[in-house]
This record gives sequence, structure tokens and C-alpha cells, in this order.
Amino acid sequence: MTEFLFNWVAIVPSFAVPFALAALGLIICEQAGVLSLGAEGFMLVGALAGVGLMIGGASPEAALAGAALAGAGLGLVFAFLAASLRINHVIAGLALVFSAQALTSYVATSQKWTNKAIGGLQPVFLGQDIVAFATPVLFLAVVWVLYRTRAGLALRAVGQNPAAADAAGIDVTTVRILAVVAGAALIGLAGGYLTLAVTRIWVDNVVGGRGWIAIALVIFARWHPWRALAGAVLFGCIEALIPRLAAAGVDVPRYLLLMTPYLVTLLVMVWTAARLRDRSAQPAALGIHHIREERT
Amino acid sequence: MSDAPLAADAGLGAPAGAGKGRGLRPAFQLVPFLEVRQSVSEGYRIAVYAASLTVAALASVALLAFSGVAPADLAREIATVGFGSPRALGSVLAQTAPLAIGGLATAIAFRAGFWNIGLEGQMILGAIFAAFVAIHDVGPESLRIVLMALAACAGGMLWIAGPGFLKQRLGVNEVISTLLLNYVAFNLLLHLLYGPWKDPVSAFPHTQQFETFERLAPLGWQNLTLALPLAIAAVLVAWWALSFSRFGYLVDLMRANREMARAVGVPVVALSTVAILASGAVGGLAGFAIAAGIEFRTTQNFFVGYLFSGVLIAFIARNHPLGVLFVSFAMAVLLLLGQSLQVFFGIPAALVQLVQAIFILCVAASEFFLTYRMHWRSAS
Repeated sequence: MTEFLFNWVAIVPSFAVPFALAALGLIICEQAGVLSLGAEGFMLVGALAGVGLMIGGASPEAALAGAALAGAGLGLVFAFLAASLRINHVIAGLALVFSAQALTSYVATSQKWTNKAIGGLQPVFLGQDIVAFATPVLFLAVVWVLYRTRAGLALRAVGQNPAAADAAGIDVTTVRILAVVAGAALIGLAGGYLTLAVTRIWVDNVVGGRGWIAIALVIFARWHPWRALAGAVLFGCIEALIPRLAAAGVDVPRYLLLMTPYLVTLLVMVWTAARLRDRSAQPAALGIHHIREERT
Repeated sequence: MSDAPLAADAGLGAPAGAGKGRGLRPAFQLVPFLEVRQSVSEGYRIAVYAASLTVAALASVALLAFSGVAPADLAREIATVGFGSPRALGSVLAQTAPLAIGGLATAIAFRAGFWNIGLEGQMILGAIFAAFVAIHDVGPESLRIVLMALAACAGGMLWIAGPGFLKQRLGVNEVISTLLLNYVAFNLLLHLLYGPWKDPVSAFPHTQQFETFERLAPLGWQNLTLALPLAIAAVLVAWWALSFSRFGYLVDLMRANREMARAVGVPVVALSTVAILASGAVGGLAGFAIAAGIEFRTTQNFFVGYLFSGVLIAFIARNHPLGVLFVSFAMAVLLLLGQSLQVFFGIPAALVQLVQAIFILCVAASEFFLTYRMHWRSAS
């Protein structure tokens, strides 16, 4: 039993980190008022970029940087649709996820990156890799920027009341674009970490809904980074339990076990919604466009 | 909207001129002023729509040319795959049926303002329920196929009922809940196909083959089955319900302004519930159409790609049932074209998805031109 617990706890960080980084990126986007349903797409391009760079001979660190850049690149596309063209954020997000699925599948097939084992990140301390240690630092940094700097204040103002922010001299569209690109970079990094440290292989749709789970996690966390980190650890525990249970020889039907992350996510969403009916924690202008020329 | 408020705003400093003082206002700016269109003429709407599809088509042709399929070859392939022979046309029409039913399921929900992204989950449940009826020999043989269809509808409804209820009662985002249930449904399907429902004959992970009376009957032309008339019937019923009945009028009213509809006494909750459940039922029917009309068993990947296709069909058809039918035909040509290009030109199967992505991005972007009017020169 002790051994089981030990093995379980040892792999929790690598399962929690993708959720944590993706949730952190989503919080940056959504605190600026951009509803980011495209998280799954950002993770996919990050995951593929990581694999592609590794196969191309890059170091794992460079591959992670490439994953973040790929996420940011797709983030720019999303920001153009959602913040510049002011398209409905749901439509833009869905279009983005579908496009990312198509693009990654196409690139992976034509480059023959599918099903190729890659080296990936190595443990540095206590059996954990460097990103697992960097993640809490990243959270600290984002919390500091969001809640202790003028830039963070501007970002949150844009998410709460874009008209007032505009009147105060903040360029709403630019802030939203920058927030989306920064957030998408983190979500891309989450995807890259997923393939470099967890799966160590690319298959189509390798992200498997983790981007959507991260979105639910952000709602559960009421858009606050620390609560999101706690939620990510919780989900990491659940996901890490699945391979451990199988390895320990527990006789639970495999596919029913694989449902649990999704079912738990749904339960968490229901629980959050039932407890917080007023949704006061949601950025007030989430998913709402700002058009300076429209007076309301 | 007149130009007066724009003139006032221009004075407050356009993005390009911000902070430079009033005297330095440029005559032409980098970021245009946006004016929300108060009304959009039908002609302009059609023009924007046609332009977005044209841009998407041209981009797709360019992408294919870049991948090694010259436009002339492409045109020949489209003609051959779509209409080259009765057999080719039969294949396209057979593929059209499930696409139309799936697209219809998506369009019904979108029309009611419910983002149903769970088509694949609903199709899976529909196919599972239909297979249950077939495997366990429920009901008399003469009624079996009808029972399978009804069971499929029930399965789809069951799968959308949760997200629908949660959306209406607790405001849970339906995009996420319907999507997550796709994964749950997929694992449930695998659980059944790798476990109790494994084909006893071949031991492959798909159900046993359905008996003749458990299949949609062949039409006697090519390989078409009753799935196509079923799709057309579903489209016609939905067309009547959404475009001619009181129900459809109220649904459109509700989507245009839910609060206003509620205020004037429209039973928005009941109306949404009916539309959401109908969407789920039709989604289940799409799974049934494939299981009983094409594959004659429930397989583990029959639904792959339908979510993407369904959303795209609903988008391009602007959620109109008749449009769904025609767009589904085009989509069927595209899917079969993809298979053909894969064989003869060695193009990855994902290229079809990429073409779909180009279309979805272009159609999404066209919304901008319908919502806003751009002003490149300051109004003063």
C-alpha cells in the first residue's frame, strides 16, 4: 500500500503540470475578457511542436520553448478573430480547435512524426523534471503581474469593464491581443510538456480533452491562479491514479476507468455552478466585445 | 447610425492618433473605426456569404496545388468522384444521409442558441441503443428496425438531457459539458465493444452483424438504403417545424432576444428543452443511420469526424434545414474526394480536415463583415 501511494504521488506532478499551465494561460486570457474555448487547440499545436523539434534533434528545453511559441502563434490567429474582428468567442474558439486538430494531424502525417517515441524531459531532482519545479514559480510570477502591477490592473480592467478601461486610456484591443498571445504561449507550453514528459509520443488528438478540462478547471477556480493550481493537482491525482491502478492489478474495467477524468470534470462543474449561482467571480466582460464607437 | 457620433469619437482620439494631440489626426488610419450595422440587406448578406465561401474554396485549391494536386486534376477528380458514374453518385448520396442528419442535429441546437458540441457522443449513444435492440432481439422482427430507430433517438436524447438540464438550471456551459460527454460515450462504446458486445464470429471489436430485418432496407439503386429518405424526411420535418410552425417562430424570437421573449410570455425553458432534446434525438438518429444503413453493425470509429462536419454544415447552411441537405451533399463529395486523393495522389487524409478548417475560419470571419462597417478615414 505504501509503495502504491509512493508511486502514485511520484507521478502526480507530471500529470498535474499540463492542467496547471493550461489553466494559468486560460486565466490570463479570460481575466482580459476573452473566452478561450480554443485551449485544446493551443495544447495540440504545442504538443506537436514539441514532438517535431525533438525528432528534429532539438534539446528538450528548446522543444518546450518551441511549443510555447507555437501556442503563441496560434494565439495570434485567435486574437485576430476574437479581439480584432470581434467574432463571437464561442465560434472563434471552436473554429480554432477544429483547425488545430486538422493542422496538427496533417503536419504529423506528412512529416511522419506519428507514433515515434521521443526522449523528452529528464528528472532533475526527487524524480521530477525542471518544469514541475518551474510551474509554481510561473504561478507566482503571473499572480504578481496580475495583482501587483499596472499591466495586470489594466488587463483585469479590460476584462471587467472595457468601456471604463478605454476611457482611462487603456487600448482594449491591444491588451486583449497581448493577453491571448501570452496565455496561448502558456497553454502551448502545457501541450509541449504533455508530449515531452507524459506521453513521449505523438498520436492524433494526443491532448485528449485536457484543454477542455482545463477550461472547466478555471471556472472551478473562479478565475484565480492559486485555486486553479489546487484544482490541477486534484486532476493530476485522478489522472495519475488510472495507470497506477492498472499497474497494481486492480480489476476495474479499463475503459470505464478512462472515463473518470471527464466525469469528475462534469461533477466539478455542476458542483461549482450549484454553489456559486451568482457567478460573481467571472470577469464581468468575459466573451463581450468592446466597440468604442458603440455607446451603451 | 449617422456619422455624427463617429465624428465625435474621432475627436476623442483614434487608436492611431491617440496621445498625439488633436491637431495631428491622420486622414487615414491603421485601425479602422467600427460601426455596428443596424440592419443588413439580404443582398449584402448573400454577397458576404458567397465571398467567404469563394475565398475558402480558392484557399483550398491553393493548398491542394501546394500539396501536389494541380487544379485541373482536382476538377477532374471532383467530377469523377461526385458525378462520374451512377456508382459514384450513389456513394456520394449514401454518404450524404448521415452527414445531413448529423448536420441537422447541430443546426437545430444552434438555432435555439444551444451550442451542442456533443454530436459524436449522441451518435455513439444512438448506435449503442440501436445495437442493444438488435443484439437482444427486442420486439417482433417486423418492428425491429423501427424500435432500433426509436431507441437511437432515446439514446441521443439521454446524452443531451444532462447538459441541457445543467445549462437551463445552473448555467453550466454546454460547450464544455456536451464535449466532455463525447469522451465518456467513446469510452463506453469501447467498453462494450471490447467486452460483452465483441463480435462472436470474428472476435473483432465491433458488434455482430445486424440481421436483414435489422437494417435499413436497400432502395434498389446502387448501394443506397432507406437512410437517405430518412435524412430527407428529417430535414423536411425540421424545415416545417423551424420555418413554418409557431414553434420555429418562437425559437427564432428566443434566440434573437431571450429576455425579451421571456418578458412577452414565451415559455423559453420549455421551448429550449424541446429544441435541445430534438437535437439530441436527431444526433442519435445519425448514429442509427450509419449503424443500420451503412455498416450494418456498430463499430468503434463510425462517428469519427462527424462533430467537425456537423458544426461546419450547420455554419455554412446558416442553421437552415434545407441548406443542411445541400451542404451535406457537398461535404460528402469532399469526404469521398479526400479518399480518392489519398489513393491516387498520396495526400494525407487530414487534408480534408484542413480544407474543412479553412471553410470554418472563413465563414466565422465573414461574421465581422456582417456585423460591422469599417471606416478608414476619420469622419471629420
